[in-house]
Amino acid sequence: MSVSKVVTGNYAAAYGALLSRIQFAAAYPITPQTFIVEHLSEFVHDGLLDADYVRVESEHSAMSAVVAAEATGVRSFTATSSQGLALMHEVLFLPSALRLPIVMPVVNRTVAAPIGIWCEYNDTMPQRDSGWIQAYVEDNQEVLDMVIQAYKIAENKDVLLPVMLSMDAFILSHTVEPVEFPDQEAVDAFLPSYKAEHAHLWPEDPMIIGSFTPPEYIQEVRYQTDQAMKAAREVIKRVTKDFASAFGRNYGGLVEEYRTDDAEVVLVTLGTVTSTARDVVDEMRDEGKKVGMVKLRYFRPYPFEEIRKVAEGVSAIGFYDRSISYGSGGPSYIEGRHALYGLEIPVMNFLAGLGGRDVRVPDIKLMFEKLLEAAREGKAKKDIVWIGTRGVEP
Amino acid sequence: MYEVRFHGRGGQGAVMAAQALASAAFKEGYYAVAFPYFGAERRGAPVLAFTRMDKQKIRRKNQVYNPSFVVILDDRLIDLVNVSEGLNPSGAAVVNTRKSPEEIDLGMEIKVGVVDATSVALEVLGVPITNSAILGAFAKTTGVVSIEAVEEGIRDIFGGRIGKEAGEKNAKAARVAYDRTVVGTSRGEKKMVSKKQWLPTVQELPLGLATRSMETDAGLVGPGSFVENKTGSWRTFKPVFNRDKCVMCLLCWFYCPEGAIKRVDGGKTLEFDFDYCKGCGICAEECPTKAIEMVRD
Amino acid sequence: MINIKDLPDEELFTAGHTACPGCGVALVVRNLMKVLGKDTVVYLPANCLLVFSATYPLDAFKVPYLHLLFENSAVAAGAIRRALKRLGKEHVNVVALAGDGGTADIGMQALSGAAERNEDIIYVMVDNEAYMNTGIQRSGSTPFGAWTTTTPVGKKIMGKTEHKKDVMKIMMAHDVPYAATASPAFPADMLKKFEKAKNKEGFRFLQIYTTCPTGWRAPSEKTITLAKMAVETGIFPLLEYENGLLTVNYRPKGKYTLEEYLKIQGRFRHFTPEMVEEVKRWIDMRWKWIRTIEEGQKVVSGGE
Repeated sequence: MSVSKVVTGNYAAAYGALLSRIQFAAAYPITPQTFIVEHLSEFVHDGLLDADYVRVESEHSAMSAVVAAEATGVRSFTATSSQGLALMHEVLFLPSALRLPIVMPVVNRTVAAPIGIWCEYNDTMPQRDSGWIQAYVEDNQEVLDMVIQAYKIAENKDVLLPVMLSMDAFILSHTVEPVEFPDQEAVDAFLPSYKAEHAHLWPEDPMIIGSFTPPEYIQEVRYQTDQAMKAAREVIKRVTKDFASAFGRNYGGLVEEYRTDDAEVVLVTLGTVTSTARDVVDEMRDEGKKVGMVKLRYFRPYPFEEIRKVAEGVSAIGFYDRSISYGSGGPSYIEGRHALYGLEIPVMNFLAGLGGRDVRVPDIKLMFEKLLEAAREGKAKKDIVWIGTRGVEP
Repeated sequence: MYEVRFHGRGGQGAVMAAQALASAAFKEGYYAVAFPYFGAERRGAPVLAFTRMDKQKIRRKNQVYNPSFVVILDDRLIDLVNVSEGLNPSGAAVVNTRKSPEEIDLGMEIKVGVVDATSVALEVLGVPITNSAILGAFAKTTGVVSIEAVEEGIRDIFGGRIGKEAGEKNAKAARVAYDRTVVGTSRGEKKMVSKKQWLPTVQELPLGLATRSMETDAGLVGPGSFVENKTGSWRTFKPVFNRDKCVMCLLCWFYCPEGAIKRVDGGKTLEFDFDYCKGCGICAEECPTKAIEMVRD
Repeated sequence: MINIKDLPDEELFTAGHTACPGCGVALVVRNLMKVLGKDTVVYLPANCLLVFSATYPLDAFKVPYLHLLFENSAVAAGAIRRALKRLGKEHVNVVALAGDGGTADIGMQALSGAAERNEDIIYVMVDNEAYMNTGIQRSGSTPFGAWTTTTPVGKKIMGKTEHKKDVMKIMMAHDVPYAATASPAFPADMLKKFEKAKNKEGFRFLQIYTTCPTGWRAPSEKTITLAKMAVETGIFPLLEYENGLLTVNYRPKGKYTLEEYLKIQGRFRHFTPEMVEEVKRWIDMRWKWIRTIEEGQKVVSGGE
């Protein structure tokens, strides 16, 4: 029997790991991820979780440890945030090339300077080329459900890639809301134990992993990883469906469309802004404004087809970003424009909530108004719009 | 454009030779480029270096596939490496050897200049390092650069790297080698074979390169497969084992970095595996009964 | 106690690797693998050993090995060991084979963490006293005065201006179950230490003197001679730290002088008498410390 409890996003993440029967974890505390490592410690010390949990001396070591453990053949888990992810950067490229299906929640937090602890995506976005599947979630239920789904996707034989689960600092990590906890039996049925067939470190079946490799081989390895990322698209869709039939919650695959039928403009969101934006869409619909929203659930693999399909039916499209590639706009916008190449509609970028600034209902409303204006004019006054920035006209 | 491929061994200074040739060519009014084969080979292992020379700016940054000339710093490399691979038949080869041109078989009949650069180096420099002397032979054989330019190039590169005096001596080695170089035509009887390489497709390549021991068309790969690499060819000195003096203390067996000394006859005696012995000389040095002696291979 | 004759014939670290002739690392690793046996997993950081023994698709190790990065040997090896235990493979040794740079410098943080957590691994520091893989740059383990490409013999400054970092002492400060230094020129002592390290539990540390003829500008046949001289001159003491106590395994008998040791190696060619004196002062200082510990231990155990 599943039970519902009011818990933080961090608790949901840790509990997701518990339900996934992780065998190995290594982590280093960093605000606002700390509750995850604390809860994991409690689970292990209370005997609820039978896993090796190594409280290492840095995030670099945390990621090194989970990669080594996963290469040895056990299901492995870690979690971090911001500077911690930046310190892991060097290690992140290993599991994607070595094909080790690690799962890691990242509590999105601003990367210094200036130092801050609040939500910004300049920690995860710069890692988008490291070969990790990247998902963004909007509430604590999705945090828990996605940890379980992430293992299912990562360990699929056509994928075998690590998954980074991006969850907003404080807005999810430290906020309590009701979460339904599935039965362990149901999770076990959905997610069988990990079998390390393609890579392991067992003397009875010796393998070499991570050799010094000349140019004759590396390009093929890159191609393999690229193929795996592409294959992940179908696997994600299938796992979303399977999860829905097992647990009754359907998240829609790579994207989730919200009131896009007959929409005149759509806003592509990611993270918790999605959740607030649902209210804004409803309000504006009530006012007779034909607005819709697309929740970008996965940034890697990027849902090119899905985004393009939505855009083909509207008069203007906007991309919300919580980080910036200086001089070029936000990463979601950059990727979106690539997906929409050749499409003759206004494509806009809305930058808001950087450094953890609150993204309010009027801010999101303003994004839709700007989109409706661009749809009317057939052209945006400004392609890249900074929302709520003092001294800057939106 | 002239393209030159140097065949040497790690530690023999093939790269410096290629650079000195580039400097010489530059002095002759060429635009010249020299570069190593970007590998991680250790001392003694076969290595490559390249020089390109042209009357205009060289824009090509890819590797050399059809050299006009090959320079071979050690004639034993001819048996190990396909030194004439891609060699332009109207070009030439330059070889450090005691043999005459007619005794050299490059698998193709081609102009070849020979010199005993090792003896020249020993006479002039006091060490068997042939990377400067061989350039004198190059000037004599190809005529692409003058011996004066070669001397200047050596003063420039060697002098800058190991001191003015050493630069001068190396320039002299080139001059002596120039005078002694004999040019003729090589034989073309031998069948030159390039080493087979395992080049699996994306589909064949193990996921993430996690590789088990397996046989491929190029031999064994994976755990324990380095036995495919016969490092015995690196050797310049060779251990000679006097069984009668051996007391089976096994120090040589223990100290061999290659594991090239084997216990045989139920542990009664030892055997040397010359497929792998690199000739480091530790065994001879450490043998308490002087049962091993190092001799020129 | 294992001696040379007892070592198996099978090479778990095979011939054909591309180490320089006379490589001290290759000969130590070859024998270490014989002691550890088939039930072993090796972790290699980025170092010479990786490049000369694991060049894809060829590989000298017959046992499984993993390479990830440079600075994480201790933590990666610890994770492998934990994962193996979880899979019921309790009997498998896990050994990290790191160089001196990968240990004394960039790997120190992970090493310290793993030692403090008492990870159940054998950590071997193959000490050739500089970054050899990248072409002979100074490390924290490079001795005083030595020439390297980043401590050149210049007109104003000649060689390295600092002394060698004492990693053994650092490991003792972690109170690990077993820590030892060894030299291949003392085979019985080295093999005993390999065996002890294999049979103990918890974090085991070995610092092995591994001559690098290429980087030290020394003749390849002198690899063992140098390893002998280093011990005899007192510059590399053979020590063992076990159950909280320090043991000196060999007392230098003065068979060689420091001057003789320095003379064979091109990296010390520029030494002035003052530099030789400075090294002597350093050796004396270290031995004074060792003797102080020894005497202290005697006093304490005598008083009990």
